[in-house]
Amino acid sequence: MRKYVERRLLLFVPTLLGASILIFVLMRLVPGDIAEILVYQTGTESSTIQQKQIQQIREELGLNRPVIVQYLSWLGNALRGDFGYSYTQRRPVTDILKERFPRSMELAFLTIFVAIIWAIPLGVISAVRQNTWADYLVRVISISGLSLPIFFTGVLILYGLVRFFRWLPPLEFVSFLDDPVENLKQLIFPTLAQAYYISAPITRLTRSQMLEVIRHDYVRTARAKGLAERAVVYRHALANSLLPVVTFIGWWGGRLLGGVVIMEIIFAVPGMGTALVQAVNYRDYPTVQAIIFVMALVFLTINLLVDVLYGWLDPRIRYA
Amino acid sequence: MANRADLALRMTRDAGIEPARAVGGARGVLHALGRFAVRQPLGAIGGLIVLVLVATAIFAPQLAPHGAKDTAFTQYLPPSIEFPMGTDQIGRDVLSRVIWGARLSLYVGLVSVAFGITLGALWGVITAYFGGLADGASQRVVDVLMALPPIILALSLMAALGQSVNNVILALAILLTPTAARTLRSVALSIKETPYVEAARAAGCSHWRIIFRHLLPNSFATYIVLFTVNISYAIVVEAALSFLGLGVPPDEPSWGGMLTAGTQAMETAPWMVFFPGLAISLTVFGLNLLGDAIRDLTDPRLRGGLG
Repeated sequence: MRKYVERRLLLFVPTLLGASILIFVLMRLVPGDIAEILVYQTGTESSTIQQKQIQQIREELGLNRPVIVQYLSWLGNALRGDFGYSYTQRRPVTDILKERFPRSMELAFLTIFVAIIWAIPLGVISAVRQNTWADYLVRVISISGLSLPIFFTGVLILYGLVRFFRWLPPLEFVSFLDDPVENLKQLIFPTLAQAYYISAPITRLTRSQMLEVIRHDYVRTARAKGLAERAVVYRHALANSLLPVVTFIGWWGGRLLGGVVIMEIIFAVPGMGTALVQAVNYRDYPTVQAIIFVMALVFLTINLLVDVLYGWLDPRIRYA
Repeated sequence: MANRADLALRMTRDAGIEPARAVGGARGVLHALGRFAVRQPLGAIGGLIVLVLVATAIFAPQLAPHGAKDTAFTQYLPPSIEFPMGTDQIGRDVLSRVIWGARLSLYVGLVSVAFGITLGALWGVITAYFGGLADGASQRVVDVLMALPPIILALSLMAALGQSVNNVILALAILLTPTAARTLRSVALSIKETPYVEAARAAGCSHWRIIFRHLLPNSFATYIVLFTVNISYAIVVEAALSFLGLGVPPDEPSWGGMLTAGTQAMETAPWMVFFPGLAISLTVFGLNLLGDAIRDLTDPRLRGGLG
């Protein structure tokens, strides 16, 4: 087990470094840099004064140094928790991350939580009552959940809220620590919209796993020795069906994070996603770089945790 | 896994291709389609939806009453006989844009998947065959590309490349390549160990002959599954990018872009939201059903899996 975890950890750091290089290079390919945008905001005509200003800003930001030097200095600072300065928000990028990161993570965790408590029982019902109306209903719900893109579900829910309940996206975000009820009220709709989508494949997977496990000998043995049906289903069948569901959730971690970005935009949640899209539009690359780097870090961590968890749950994997 | 060739054979048989050949002619094709519909009723419904989509895309110039960028009408007209889906914020006919949108979606989806999956397949199969350092290094590149959440990778690629239809295709292709490379690599690794590849090597076949005559043809079933499953994915990601304002330029008739414009005018013109959204959902629904059916036919072990 220790060797297995070590091997996975050993891959973690180079992959994260590789991702940071990729992000860095991509941001340098962006046509037009922050210096031009800052200067041309005031006027569209290019003049010698503006050219000088651009040069000056580039020097201040170190944009005229070789890319590799820029990267190394960025990495050195990032490791010390300094992600540079955001010109559009006029504050250190680290402050933006500190403010936005918990909000996005809260949304992601709520989504996964709601999706699981809703999807797994549905999958179990669907499998236990295979080919009854309950099964068909669950299957229709989950296939429609897979087919509705989250941005459409989100917009539909928003439309319903605005049209029938006169609901408006809140102007100010309330933290969970300040006022849990108000905070959950703000996040409940984006959570539900995305959970509907994420729960569909979890339901389908739970169902197909249950159908497979239920046919195993040990389930028949459990029944034969006179266990209550409830105990057979939950303690024997379900417990052994959840393994692939765990990996699956890790596998969809990326889609979950992408979905969080979209939900934040639709429901005006001031999280990392809204900050990212805004920063991309203003070519504020210290901010873009930092946010994407943090997202890669989160995504890789989820994958690592899932792999380790999987190895811990299923001893066969560790020795493979 | 040893029976990839056998699997492919079974796939053609299950898909009803063989009886078609036996009976021959138009009646044979109908017969085969009938068999497919009976075996996979949901797949048949999906196929029908996809057929309508493809027809809409091909005949867009004949079907659409107006051009996708014609702005000669009053803004925010509700649905009527003249404009069945209303008009948008600068007076374009929504129906026409939805129809042209089918062409755009399908074009972007097909071309990006064709590029991405084919490139990934070649990459995966070739590195699997040669193994060693190149294989290890290429796996690390795949790791890096898969370290970013997909939408985020697409988004940063679009930021770097700039907004245009071709750049969306390029970004999607880059997004799809690593997944295909990883999947096809594992398939090729198992084919590599089969006796017939060993026999080919013993008979003195060159490396490239083994790759192109044995490994690639025998991983074709997986390639087809990846291809069909990813078309709907590519279409959704394109729509999501355009929805975020980072996909195709705003005047192009992208369903995702239309949805954004609709969201901003939701209260006065809800039809701007419903129709493009419905078009995306139906398309994805049809492609998912068809993809599921094809996956069931090619590989029963994947059934009910991750879809």
